Amino acid sequence: MSDASLPLVEVNHISKRYPVLANSADRLSALWDMLRGRTPTRHTTVLSDINFKVMPGCSIGIIGENGAGKSTLLKLITRVLTPSDGDVVTRGSIGALLELGAGFHPEYSGRENVRLSAALYGISDAELKTKMAEIEDFADIGHYIDEPTKHYSSGMIVRLGFAIIAAVRPPLLITDEVLGVGDESFQKKCSRWIDEYVNSGGTLLLVSHSMYHVQKLCREAIWLHQGRIEMQGDVFSVTQHYLAWHESKRTGEDIVPDQSNAIFDYGIEKVTYNNSLHGAALEAESGADYRIEVVLTSLDDAPPVLLVGWVREDGTPVYGISSEMDSIAPTKLAIGKYRYCLCFTKIGLLPGRYKLRVHSLDSQGLRLFQTIDRHVTITGQSRAYGLMHMPHHWE
Amino acid sequence: MKPAYRSVFRELLRRELGERYRGSLLGVLWHLLLPLSQLLVLSWVFSHLLQARTQFENLSYAAFLALGLWPWNLFSNAVSNSVAALTGNAALIGKIALPHHLLVDAKVSASILLDLAGFAVVLLALVVFGTHLHFSGLPVVLLSLIILYIFAVGFANIVAVLNVFLRDVGAAISQIMSLLFFLTPVIYDMAQLPKAMQQFLLLNPFAAPIISIRQAFLGLPIDWRHLGISALLAIVIAYLGYALLRRARPHLEDYL
Repeated sequence: MSDASLPLVEVNHISKRYPVLANSADRLSALWDMLRGRTPTRHTTVLSDINFKVMPGCSIGIIGENGAGKSTLLKLITRVLTPSDGDVVTRGSIGALLELGAGFHPEYSGRENVRLSAALYGISDAELKTKMAEIEDFADIGHYIDEPTKHYSSGMIVRLGFAIIAAVRPPLLITDEVLGVGDESFQKKCSRWIDEYVNSGGTLLLVSHSMYHVQKLCREAIWLHQGRIEMQGDVFSVTQHYLAWHESKRTGEDIVPDQSNAIFDYGIEKVTYNNSLHGAALEAESGADYRIEVVLTSLDDAPPVLLVGWVREDGTPVYGISSEMDSIAPTKLAIGKYRYCLCFTKIGLLPGRYKLRVHSLDSQGLRLFQTIDRHVTITGQSRAYGLMHMPHHWE
Repeated sequence: MKPAYRSVFRELLRRELGERYRGSLLGVLWHLLLPLSQLLVLSWVFSHLLQARTQFENLSYAAFLALGLWPWNLFSNAVSNSVAALTGNAALIGKIALPHHLLVDAKVSASILLDLAGFAVVLLALVVFGTHLHFSGLPVVLLSLIILYIFAVGFANIVAVLNVFLRDVGAAISQIMSLLFFLTPVIYDMAQLPKAMQQFLLLNPFAAPIISIRQAFLGLPIDWRHLGISALLAIVIAYLGYALLRRARPHLEDYL
């Protein structure tokens, strides 16, 4: 029904500011500002300079922490809110399930609420007659359809809201964290429906805190952070960066004291990561080999021990191994200079951000001297949970 | 797919009308019983207790009062009910894109439809109890009611929007309406007042349509000049109301 080459939604540099309403004087001045057509003097910015397009057939997940502006963005796209700057151009109708309630009035019955929603989607009365049965069937809430929606459980509201969307089948579907509400069987029904909807050319904008849902249902993702687009692109890469950021936020960065000028009995002279010297951003693909080469110094010329460990962004140790454990001796390069080469074959780490930690120890492997941490991003497309890939097979 | 405006309006109107009978036993019957009992009490108090008289030989004071009271209520109820048209639907406005003016329109229309029904019942009762009404005046009555309706829509939009910003409006509006009631010739006959006072009262733009309804039913001359001014003013107010709503639309959700 619409030109496939034109975006369904164009979000052009929009910003949204909410007025600050601390007291009634603020309301009065806000009214005065509104009458003069000015923006309120006191405001907080919720979104700034958001810019993207939604092409037909796209499926985009919007992720970000609480208060990042995700729901506000969806409300701006559905025109429930009006942007303070910029504009939103939409083509075709939008089916929206915003938060709980889906625009239902609590005093009215499910059936009455369906009638209003349907009218808002532009469904004529005659059409609704045939669709009502379909909606009741999909929602599957029995006699509750004729009860006021205030008596509904949150699950029932979502069921009914979703049933309307399923009957209307709008060219663009926007949902805000609703999949997590229904019970298991309804969630499956919804997920299946959305899956089928996306596969048959439907366009989806999904807000969710469940990376599982986002990765399953979306091909692209937008990471909102404090009202701005932090990252945008392929769903796997965006969600991985988002999760890694979360992990690093949880503990704060490990601050490694500046050791570059110190002289250690047993020090680290040089680390080469996968053939690149430290300094550049490091990346490795999950499942590929990862090789590091370390040159250690020793003041008394006793061969030092090397300890190498993988640590998750939040500091959780994943795997550590030392040359002493494996009874490996270093290659002597010169007096007081030793080299180790270590290759992790087919690294089983799941995609995400990790730290590769290199320690120099004395020749007995008892005392720890210098530490160098490097961030390594493991890339890949795995949707598995946890840290490691565990070899497995299905029987 | 644009919203089916007519279906949306009808659905909102249906809600507003349905709300009056929600959980009530007698339902629509209330709209028959209420005006009749009001009329009964009015006629007992004014005609028997207070022995109020009109300047007309064959017109009871109760009938005189009823012919002004119901048109006034029509207007005043519509405005008072609409104060909450936006604030009361915050749940809806915050979740779905809805043409805001439909919410106000539905409130006003529902209120006026119900009061019109009441007025019709009262007129019928007056005729049954022997009041001679000139139904040839109906076109003027209709015109005056339309003027009141336009006034109501205009003021409804204004108070509904103002109430979003300042909730005091909701509390103040019933007070203002009852003050206006006494400044409008409903309980008294303007013809019996001094000329200067009449001119002063006619400054009230609602006076002309309400007087005209009564005059028309009683077969008395209509003050076309003031009715015309009133009509013009109603259109101006309605325009201002819509202009205010249009200007406030992008901001409403922020204050609800």
